[in-house]
Amino acid sequence: MAMDDLTSKIRDISEQNPNLCMQCGTCSASCTGIGAMEQLPRQVMRLLQLGKDKALESSSIWMCTTCLTCTARCPRGIDIARVMEALRVINLRQGNEVLVLEDIPLELLTEVPQMALTSGFRKLSA
Amino acid sequence: MAIPYFPGCTLKTKATGLDSSTRATLAALGVELAELPDWTCCGTVFPLAQDNYMGMVAAARILINASKEDDGRLVTVCSFCYNVLKRVNYAIKNNEETRTKLTQYLEEEYAGETKLVHPLEVLRDDVGFEALQGKVNDKVKGLKVACYYGCMLSRPASEMQFDDEPENPTIMEDLVGAMGAEPVDFKYKTKCCGSYQVMKTYDLVVKRVREILEGATASGAQAIITSCPLCQFNLDWIQEKIAEEDSSFAKIPVLYFTQLLGAALDVPAEELGLDKHYVDPKALLKG
Amino acid sequence: MPEQKMVNIYIMGKQYEVPAGVTIMKAMEYAGYQFIRGCGCRGGFCGACGTVYRKPGDFRLYSGLACQLQAEEGMYLSQIPFYPANRSTYDLQELTPELSTILKHYPEVTRCLGCNQCTKICPQGLNVMDYIAAAQRGDIEKAAHLSFDCIMCGLCVSRCPAEIVHYNVGILCRRLYGRHIIPKAQHLAKRVEEIKSGKFDEELNKLMSMGQEELTKLYDDRDMEQ
Repeated sequence: MAMDDLTSKIRDISEQNPNLCMQCGTCSASCTGIGAMEQLPRQVMRLLQLGKDKALESSSIWMCTTCLTCTARCPRGIDIARVMEALRVINLRQGNEVLVLEDIPLELLTEVPQMALTSGFRKLSA
Repeated sequence: MAIPYFPGCTLKTKATGLDSSTRATLAALGVELAELPDWTCCGTVFPLAQDNYMGMVAAARILINASKEDDGRLVTVCSFCYNVLKRVNYAIKNNEETRTKLTQYLEEEYAGETKLVHPLEVLRDDVGFEALQGKVNDKVKGLKVACYYGCMLSRPASEMQFDDEPENPTIMEDLVGAMGAEPVDFKYKTKCCGSYQVMKTYDLVVKRVREILEGATASGAQAIITSCPLCQFNLDWIQEKIAEEDSSFAKIPVLYFTQLLGAALDVPAEELGLDKHYVDPKALLKG
Repeated sequence: MPEQKMVNIYIMGKQYEVPAGVTIMKAMEYAGYQFIRGCGCRGGFCGACGTVYRKPGDFRLYSGLACQLQAEEGMYLSQIPFYPANRSTYDLQELTPELSTILKHYPEVTRCLGCNQCTKICPQGLNVMDYIAAAQRGDIEKAAHLSFDCIMCGLCVSRCPAEIVHYNVGILCRRLYGRHIIPKAQHLAKRVEEIKSGKFDEELNKLMSMGQEELTKLYDDRDMEQ
């Protein structure tokens, strides 16, 4: 996707402007994904500012728990959670299914409260 | 007059203890809840893509149905339900396009009249924490409790408006104090447990859960209370898994705030649902 | 003889002139179609002839059963005689009537968006979304009751964005309800015990050993209203 395309698509879906980000790193410091994510939110924002497709291919966007802490603390008022969602949504709408039902162990499927299944499918699967 | 009540799917199955203890404790304090006659799953998560209206339809329908009851309020206790219903309501109220799209699709008139209320707010505003002090027994007196809010009650602050300090809410601590128990200073109170990633990035959830549990124990807590069935599951079920691997891990019971309150109000045990927990909390509540 | 009023309908996009008021199924046969699929009991019960249609100048989608719907001027229709469905296999005797059973066989019910398209398209007017919602929270009894009149036509399946096969969830719930929830008929159980214990063996053996003449006489002399 061309630089303008990705950024404008993100801006459309999230209604957020990645160029407002001043790279302070507060989001990364607060992120639930620390220790698991390869690129924390600040880095994802930087990739978007540079229009890099790597942002779309990042595995980190799939580890987000939508805890909204990044959004709550961004000093620039960017709703970072919406930006992460836009990246996921662009992927999902192309048919990528990250949470594959058949891969969920049966014990988990029947023990977990079904809100986990509902929310998991909505965030991580088409 | 009974307040309309939305239990949500999980409270009818995995978290029946949260449902029964919420109803029983509020009833013991003079507040009746009336379950909505017909309801569907709320959808759990608020869609963050601005063009995803479909994810809001179920919540919108629930809000509209609640507005048709006489009360004007809707009580819900599961943090996820509370969050999505309140956020969809906010979107309908403040965003004309959202309001138009949803009301046209559902063929109903609605402008966000329903008021979402969490049982913690009912306890603070309708019952009063001071009044509560005079009604509790000694069963939880002095018990050290870590109040775990998780994510969905207070974020995003502009829409949820839950408690004055979204980074440091105190409503649960005030409730705990009113019960005669002792809230501990717990710095992980609004940190995410890992949520639905238990289905996908399991190791991340184990990490976050362990931090929260160890944080609570380090603060001197004997129990953790929460309002969310997914938080409760992650903190409880995964705790068992951690303890199986690491015999030195200090277990700490995780229960719903309504179960703790129920014990303090002499609610019969069968209405508290304490048997479904993985780490048994019953010993703590003997008093 | 009064002139037969004719109407124009469009079957899979092609226009035909058919007698007004006949069923879509008869209209299609009048137009020359021969049914080897998409047709069954012709009585509104088997669910084989699910049909969707639009009316001129109206964007809405309507539905019905070809054997029941009456041809109207401008109907723009197609049959959906079959829609691929996902069906889980199970041994009813071994199942328990709870949410985990539903999730084990049809976990996709948790993908329900609450869009209500299934309810809107149901030719039987059932609350399809409501019975899926009931199944999703383990209320097997409610799901069984609400889905009782389902004829498994599959129109709901064709509309669902979450790719749920509603009628398979419904029939699982009804089976669970019938086998594991509903109270057992005591008089039936008692009769079965009586039969097993041989209470009726003598009478049955007597009948089995009778010749045709004797049986005919017995039949003719039976107790009946005149």
